[in-house]
Amino acid sequence: MLVLIAGAVWALSLAPSTWWAARVIEEQGLGNQVDAITALTAVIALGWLVVPVLITGLDDSLDPRRFASLGVSARRLMPGMTVSAFLTLPALFFAYVFLTLATTWRYDGRALAVACVGALVVLAMVVFSARLAVAWVTRLLQSRHARAVVLGLVVLGGLVVTPIAYALVTEGLDTVLNIDVPALLETIRYLPIGMPSVAPRYAADGQWWDVAWRLAASLAWVAMIHRAWRANVAHALVNPLYRGEGVRAGTDALLGSARRNARRRFGRRNAAEEAVRARASRYWITDPRYMSGLISILVFPTAFFTLVYPIFGSPVAVVMAVPVLLAGTIGWARHNDVAYDSTALWLDVVSGRLGRDVMTGRVRATLAWAAPATLVAVVIAAAVSARWDLVPAEIGAVAGVLGTSLGVSAVSSVVLPYRAPAPGENPFSAEVGSVGAGLLAQFVSSIAAWIVAVPVTLPLLAAIRWDWRYGWLGLVFGTATGVAVLGFGTAWAGRMYDRKSGRLVNAVA
Amino acid sequence: MAPVTRPAALALAGLRKRFGATIAVDGLDLEIPAGSFYGIVGPNGAGKTTTLSMATGLLTPDAGTVLVHGVNLWQEPERAKPMLGVLPDGLRTFDRLTGAELISYAGLLRGMDPATVEERRDDLLAALDLTGAGRTLVADFSAGMTKKIALACALVHAPRVLVLDEPFEAVDPVSAKAIRRILHEFTQSGGTVVMSSHVMALVERVCDHVAIVAHGRILAHGTLADVSEGEDLEERFVALVGDTSEQRDLAWLRHF
Repeated sequence: MLVLIAGAVWALSLAPSTWWAARVIEEQGLGNQVDAITALTAVIALGWLVVPVLITGLDDSLDPRRFASLGVSARRLMPGMTVSAFLTLPALFFAYVFLTLATTWRYDGRALAVACVGALVVLAMVVFSARLAVAWVTRLLQSRHARAVVLGLVVLGGLVVTPIAYALVTEGLDTVLNIDVPALLETIRYLPIGMPSVAPRYAADGQWWDVAWRLAASLAWVAMIHRAWRANVAHALVNPLYRGEGVRAGTDALLGSARRNARRRFGRRNAAEEAVRARASRYWITDPRYMSGLISILVFPTAFFTLVYPIFGSPVAVVMAVPVLLAGTIGWARHNDVAYDSTALWLDVVSGRLGRDVMTGRVRATLAWAAPATLVAVVIAAAVSARWDLVPAEIGAVAGVLGTSLGVSAVSSVVLPYRAPAPGENPFSAEVGSVGAGLLAQFVSSIAAWIVAVPVTLPLLAAIRWDWRYGWLGLVFGTATGVAVLGFGTAWAGRMYDRKSGRLVNAVA
Repeated sequence: MAPVTRPAALALAGLRKRFGATIAVDGLDLEIPAGSFYGIVGPNGAGKTTTLSMATGLLTPDAGTVLVHGVNLWQEPERAKPMLGVLPDGLRTFDRLTGAELISYAGLLRGMDPATVEERRDDLLAALDLTGAGRTLVADFSAGMTKKIALACALVHAPRVLVLDEPFEAVDPVSAKAIRRILHEFTQSGGTVVMSSHVMALVERVCDHVAIVAHGRILAHGTLADVSEGEDLEERFVALVGDTSEQRDLAWLRHF
């Protein structure tokens, strides 16, 4: 309810500016009006495709697997699911947006009528596309080919983004805006998502055949997407999750890890901690919930270095901020880490007073990939900005932010756990009823992470602003602070874990 | 010479637990003798699982104490928990591990050395007819297989007290026989088994002691003979708990 109210308030606050934007577009002249509406519609449609996949939290009350045991056919379910898909705050808000954009044709009654019809068609297109995209990605991530899917999505993203980035770098922003973008918009106008945007123009000219085939083609596309969504629903109703997909392991990886640890002369870890680390590492590479989180985290830096930087030619401070933000995102994303074990953490709880081992093992599993990933980001930032002199400062800031945010998250995941998607559930779902608790935990943990992380970034700012030699101070200070806060946070989280062990299972169930 | 009294394997005193307005466990007292095979029976919602959760460290009691061979579980968990082997009901497992890895994980968490873990892991997989499933992810296990692998996790560290919540649920008769044999030998060697079940015939068959729980309280406890008082145990159970089912005629069900 809290989230609904907050979302409604936010949507209402955007309503006036949406109306104002429509009025501005209205005054641009016919050609620019069509271009603007086409471009806006395309961007919104892309957002509807991408955001539900990357930012977990899609309401899972329409998950067809919830209806599987009722023996209801997809044919009976779809009318209700279709109507329900439009009864969400985002759908209602964008209905307002699209209809408001349609009012730019208000000076011609025929064009206005066609624009309103087109607005509703576009709304249906984006709503159904979002449902279909999440259904497909969920299905793929929960198959045995999940890792191949993740790699494929990354490669696909690269194939889409690389030509754009190349054009921006070689031609420059002005050329891209004056030549490439209009050409792209011209193409979009012949795609289903763009046809409703240009149909009103033909209505104003009395060219009803052009109106008719464009709207018909868009409606056919909507019908096709809806059919594909229905096919996914039908599949989900009679295909229970075979989550292991018949995977068979050749060796006992946990025992292997334990033997290697026992043979170490230096740096030997506690057996329980090593077991937890090995177990958590397995989940990072096989569990769809962790892999979907990985995708979300890596999208921003990838998009920045391939798109944003070529467009804006960003200042050094902005470029150097990206690896720091990546480190902060990785660390903060673990703020509810314990809940991802769901009730399976009973095995850890009954095995002894293992809080410190459990929390340290989990953190080490995250650091195993997070440390190299942020280091790569540091190297890329230094390379694109040609500021290799800032590498020490950058490493210090990144190590500091990663360590402090992971330390804060360790505490948060024990002190403020909330229900997360359980193993096998839709990784893109938000648990009904837990969203309020989740918001509180997210708010508190993010504020705490910011407070603790800011000091370690100051030497980097000083190195950029005044003298690069501050970077050596930052390297020592940042790394030491990161290690200290991580160690303290993990130890404190371990103590809290032991103290709260009798309440944790219920808290995440 | 006065007889030497050994502490009870598991002593629950004054246990209380409330969930909102619902009192799940209401001042429960129970002493489980060492070496016994103790059945805990009761209707749905009686408080069995809540009691066992408090007795194993999974749920903090609002009041009361739990002693495991004289050691307070909630004050000295590092001494008490190694003596307990736990099989809870209705909780998930780390199902991205294979069956063999899950047993290894349980053993390694207990601080066992890898060689011992490997030996016991293979013994348990064979004893519970899970050798073939050892390389399969637990996510692909059936309900019965998941129950057996969780039981293996409870046994791997050779505890002194086993607390099992519905250990035979969904388990096939052949495996159930093997499990009964393992548990019987365990108690013969001095171990203690505390088991909850809805199946009275099973409790009568394997247990030597029983406690009847209803509304969060113990209605009767002791040896099977003490509790049944010469009657059939199920009849005694119904007499104590009361027949709560409404005698409604479901005529619409008889339409064949």
